[in-house]
Amino acid sequence: MRRHTFTRFAEALPAAVLAACSGPQSPLDAGSDEAAGIAILSWVMFAAAGLILVAVLALAAAAARAPAEQPRWATREGWVVAAGLVFPIVMLSALLAWGLSITGGGGGASSPPAAFRIAVAGEQWWWRVTYLGPDGSALFSTANELRLPIGQRVEVDLTSADVIHSFWVPGLAGKLDMIPGHVNTLPLVAGRAGTWRGQCAEYCGGAHALMAFTVTALPAPDFERWMAAQAAPAAEPDNAEGRRGRALFLASGCGACHAVRGTPASGTIGPDLTHVGGRPTIGAGLLPTQRGTLAAWIVDPGHLKPEVRMPPFPVFRGEDLRALAAWLESLR
Amino acid sequence: MGCAGSVTAPITPTQTLPHQGGGLKRLALALVLLVAGCGDDPPVPDFGDPERGRAVIARYECGACHRIPGITGARGKVGPPLAGFARRAMIAGTLPNRPEALLAWLRDPPAQVKGTAMPALGLSEQEAGDAAAYLYTLR
Amino acid sequence: MSRLPDPRPRPPEELEQLQEVWRQPGGWRLASAVNNTYVGVFYIGTALLFFVLAGILALLLRIQLAVPENDFLSQATYNQVFTMHGTMMMFLFAVPAVEAMGVYLLPNMQAARDLPFPRLSAYAFWAYAVGGLAFFCSLFFGLAPDGGWFMYPPLTSSEHSPGHNTDFWLLGIGFIEISAIAGAIEILVGVLRTRAPGMTLDKLPIYSWAMLVFAVMIVFGFPAVILGTALLEIERSFHWPFFIAEKGGDPLLWQHLFWFFGHPEVYIIFLPAAGFVSMILPTMCGTRLVAHRWVVLALVATGFIAFGVWVHHMFTTGLPKLSLSFFSAASMAVAVPSGIQVFAWIATIAKGRLRLTVPSLFVLGFLAIFTLGGLTGVMVAMVPFDGQTHDTFFVVAHFHYVLIGGMVFPLFAAFYYWAPTASRRALSERLGKWCFGLMFVGFNIAFFPQHVAGLMGMPRRVWTYPAELGWGWINMTSTVGAFILGLGALVFLIDLARNFRPFTGGNAGNVWNAGTLEWLPGGNYATRSIPIVTSLEPLWDQPDLAREVDEGRYYLPGAPTGRRETIVTSAIAAEPQYLMQMPGPGWPAVLAAWFTAAFFLLLTVKLVTPAMVCGVIALALVLRWMWDTDLGPAHPPVDIGGGIVLPVNCSGPMSHSWWAVVVLILVAGAVFASLLFSYFFLWTVSPDVWPAATGQALPGAEWPLAAAALLVLSSALVWWAGRRLEADGHWSVRLGLAAAAVALAAALAAELAGQRATGLSPTDSGYGAVVYMMAALQGLFVATLGIMALYTLARSLAGLLHRHRRATFDNTMLLWHYAVGQGLIALAVVHFGPRVL
Repeated sequence: MRRHTFTRFAEALPAAVLAACSGPQSPLDAGSDEAAGIAILSWVMFAAAGLILVAVLALAAAAARAPAEQPRWATREGWVVAAGLVFPIVMLSALLAWGLSITGGGGGASSPPAAFRIAVAGEQWWWRVTYLGPDGSALFSTANELRLPIGQRVEVDLTSADVIHSFWVPGLAGKLDMIPGHVNTLPLVAGRAGTWRGQCAEYCGGAHALMAFTVTALPAPDFERWMAAQAAPAAEPDNAEGRRGRALFLASGCGACHAVRGTPASGTIGPDLTHVGGRPTIGAGLLPTQRGTLAAWIVDPGHLKPEVRMPPFPVFRGEDLRALAAWLESLR
Repeated sequence: MGCAGSVTAPITPTQTLPHQGGGLKRLALALVLLVAGCGDDPPVPDFGDPERGRAVIARYECGACHRIPGITGARGKVGPPLAGFARRAMIAGTLPNRPEALLAWLRDPPAQVKGTAMPALGLSEQEAGDAAAYLYTLR
Repeated sequence: MSRLPDPRPRPPEELEQLQEVWRQPGGWRLASAVNNTYVGVFYIGTALLFFVLAGILALLLRIQLAVPENDFLSQATYNQVFTMHGTMMMFLFAVPAVEAMGVYLLPNMQAARDLPFPRLSAYAFWAYAVGGLAFFCSLFFGLAPDGGWFMYPPLTSSEHSPGHNTDFWLLGIGFIEISAIAGAIEILVGVLRTRAPGMTLDKLPIYSWAMLVFAVMIVFGFPAVILGTALLEIERSFHWPFFIAEKGGDPLLWQHLFWFFGHPEVYIIFLPAAGFVSMILPTMCGTRLVAHRWVVLALVATGFIAFGVWVHHMFTTGLPKLSLSFFSAASMAVAVPSGIQVFAWIATIAKGRLRLTVPSLFVLGFLAIFTLGGLTGVMVAMVPFDGQTHDTFFVVAHFHYVLIGGMVFPLFAAFYYWAPTASRRALSERLGKWCFGLMFVGFNIAFFPQHVAGLMGMPRRVWTYPAELGWGWINMTSTVGAFILGLGALVFLIDLARNFRPFTGGNAGNVWNAGTLEWLPGGNYATRSIPIVTSLEPLWDQPDLAREVDEGRYYLPGAPTGRRETIVTSAIAAEPQYLMQMPGPGWPAVLAAWFTAAFFLLLTVKLVTPAMVCGVIALALVLRWMWDTDLGPAHPPVDIGGGIVLPVNCSGPMSHSWWAVVVLILVAGAVFASLLFSYFFLWTVSPDVWPAATGQALPGAEWPLAAAALLVLSSALVWWAGRRLEADGHWSVRLGLAAAAVALAAALAAELAGQRATGLSPTDSGYGAVVYMMAALQGLFVATLGIMALYTLARSLAGLLHRHRRATFDNTMLLWHYAVGQGLIALAVVHFGPRVL
């Protein structure tokens, strides 16, 4: 039994080593030209660094094992200067030139115009995502997920509602901080269909570790359909449980913090829940969205995500909680 | 050593799980099963496979409500903790803890106990059987 | 000089007297010791204690991360523990450890009897030890800081961190700021002014060079964080919005101030360690360091370039491409001096025959680890790569390679190398090899995988991670490695317990056959006599030197004034200038440190009245301690041998206290420069809260003009008092000082009244805050100089101030002119800036 498990573990290791270069949150698993460029730079640097490290260690080993009569090369300062001064300057200059050539730095004048803009605000500890129209007005608001049309350049305006966060989708681009009083703009172009995980990269207190999101790239027609659906108000419940859930939502004061367009609930403190059922996760990448996790979250979000701003609601009877969760799940 | 080997079904490639936790978690599970299994050998359940059940439980995030030994991160406090479930007499304080009752309960809790907060998550019969098999390893 | 070594027999009672003068008190009175060989060892031991404690915290973090979705530590606890781990390792271990080694080694290496300000060393040590332990204990009350060691506002503002936790961080840093600055003054003046005669700059040991650069870097680097922490605490306590964006502050101001300190800090830690390596390798190879002058140049160059790289911690904050490019280039450039040193070390190994002793092993381990850390450092200096790896475990791996590789391994090499100078027994080669093996293997198992974790997307400072991301196995590996590393450290502690026997009056001697002066035989007084230095490795070049020195054949073979004393030399040529009398064991400095610690601690928990009581007691003790200084020519000139007769003690620009005040003024100037930077930075970021945009009236020109006139008057009065002192005037000196103090205070009052008259409040906006901060900084000087003026008056009244005994007055005067200059610049910026620009 033990040997069996150990063998499996050992078999899993090489696979896991390879997996190091991929995964939903690996910068080396590129989903965009930008990330691919950085990945190539990375691999070249790893290779060069490996060679230099081996060379330095080999040199040190040779030096330590040198015979009693001193090798002539060692006693001269010249090669110290050559190896320690000239070689690094040449190498580093070349590397710097390459690095600068692929430095985004907030988008140059040569970039094509963005298809549209998305405003993303970091809040302790979730992401408020607002899709903007051509005139800068809000089309709709969602949370903890972005969807992008494949191949189109989208600009994401990054702000913070409280402390410093950092917006990072390794598969698509490097990170950019969200700083109170600043608006940083990150251009994103997804090169292929896929879903990437993003995570807050600047320590933002308490539940920093539990502040993730997803970015999904869709073909243009799917994306347009999604946009239209998101802009629409919440659908009317088509069964008794759903109607009961909605009534409970409105009666229990959830609308003080949350908005569900198409109902009187219009709070802006927490995420807009108009289409919460269609989002991949709740709690900012914490749990997949389904009625069970929704119910658990409503009753006591703090035990799933410590220090979360939403208070616990241990007030519902069993069937009421089920109805509420079922209705939220139906908001797709 | 080998006493728990009988409940550890071999993994086939088709059962690769959404949780790519890999060997470690399996190691942990094996240890749990080892410990759990060494008290007295449970019969091989004919309704499901405990290892697949572990994956079902993880996939449906049962841990959001329940504390479940052997399931990564399953520390929910909404429902009862499921440690020692195999030795528990009643399900939800209402149903006798028999495999057939458990399967029915897992597939549609409100149909069994009207006032329960536990929603029907849409487990298939196979999934419910596997999950039940796992729960019965918790002694 | 040619008469030395002096072959004549020494008087028999001379050595006895020297030993008696330098004798340490025993028992519990040991705590009152101020001599560097004692304070240095206490200091190193305390730093090591914090290394162990912070290391245990690291193991707790590693247990939590060993498996995904673990709950060994709660979120809140984890956040406190990682903050404490970083803060303690950086502030309570790394900086104090290298400073402590300097305190211990430098006088011996330069054949001085002690550092120039022994009580300052003792004060710095005790403030650090007591404050650091109290800071650590905040963990047990859940009061430990949890905002990360970098403490970015607004997370650490009173709005987002209302508890005392953040204040404890600011407190802990306050102690380390005090002790670092005190240490830097001590080391700077020590390296420049207390060297063996003949130890010109080209014969200065590399380690002294490294510590010189280290001290200069502290002088210019720490002020930024001193100001930053002051601004943050003032914002938290009084709501002056320096970092609050809605009110025209900017969170990025903190990041600039913090990293302007924080990056040089890395080199502040590394350079002394590089100095260790450059001392140890030649001994172990039995040959001189190859490319000595290039290594010196590299140390100095690192010091310069290190101040141009701080923005690489801010590559992801959305700065313009131009500044990214500049700082990217500078960050890569800083690799070059390190490269030179690495190859110089390799060349030295090749030139000599390396003995594979424990120090050698740690140095080789350092070379391997540090090289890899340097290479990944170049990677993260690349802006696009940094965008992906910043704030991930890749960076965690990188800086542990640089810091553990670059500092801890050389430090352990240094422990094993220099232990025989402090201890009766050397440390064990057998245990040392185990220690090295475990540490080297454990380190690499712990930290190499973290590069991979970062490249899989794992961010730093996360207390948990989902199993699905596949980071579990890599973290488990890392945890296993961390425990192996910890085991290595444990072996070292066992070795210490078994073999390290300091304070026994003897040492193991020159066990490695090293060439530098710290290996001369001697006692608590350092060496019996102080040699003339004619080369870099005197012990190699003058085989009889050790014996002759010990027989008292060189300078100052006894204690001719009957007190502790050392030779003060000129800064460049190291020519003897005067004999400095120095204090022996005493409680005032030690108690002052304890009460200083109590003052800050009580203030942190808002027990204001007891805090004030402790503060006053601390101040009184400091003044008591000062009272015994400034001895004047207490003894007729002394023949130190070799035909040299030196005056005893000294006033004026040649004196060590003058130099110390100049260094202090450099620190103050750097604090003020940081404040000026803050002013213009906030103006650039938020011109909308500046008068031109808000219509906020500026005070009428009469206010700043009156303030400026008063400042100039006050300086003139001090200058006049100095002239009168030269003529041995007494009442005119006292009157002049008192009037100058009034004028200085009146100038501040005029500035404040002018600002108040416009209705501006410091809580209004970033503008109001920074304008009043200028006045507050000036207020600090007014208060300090007020106390110094009163103290000087007291000394005058006690008859301790006259033409030949005027260091107290000179120090006050120097700081006074500085404060006036600072006040005038502040007035110009605050009043003419918005009018003109």
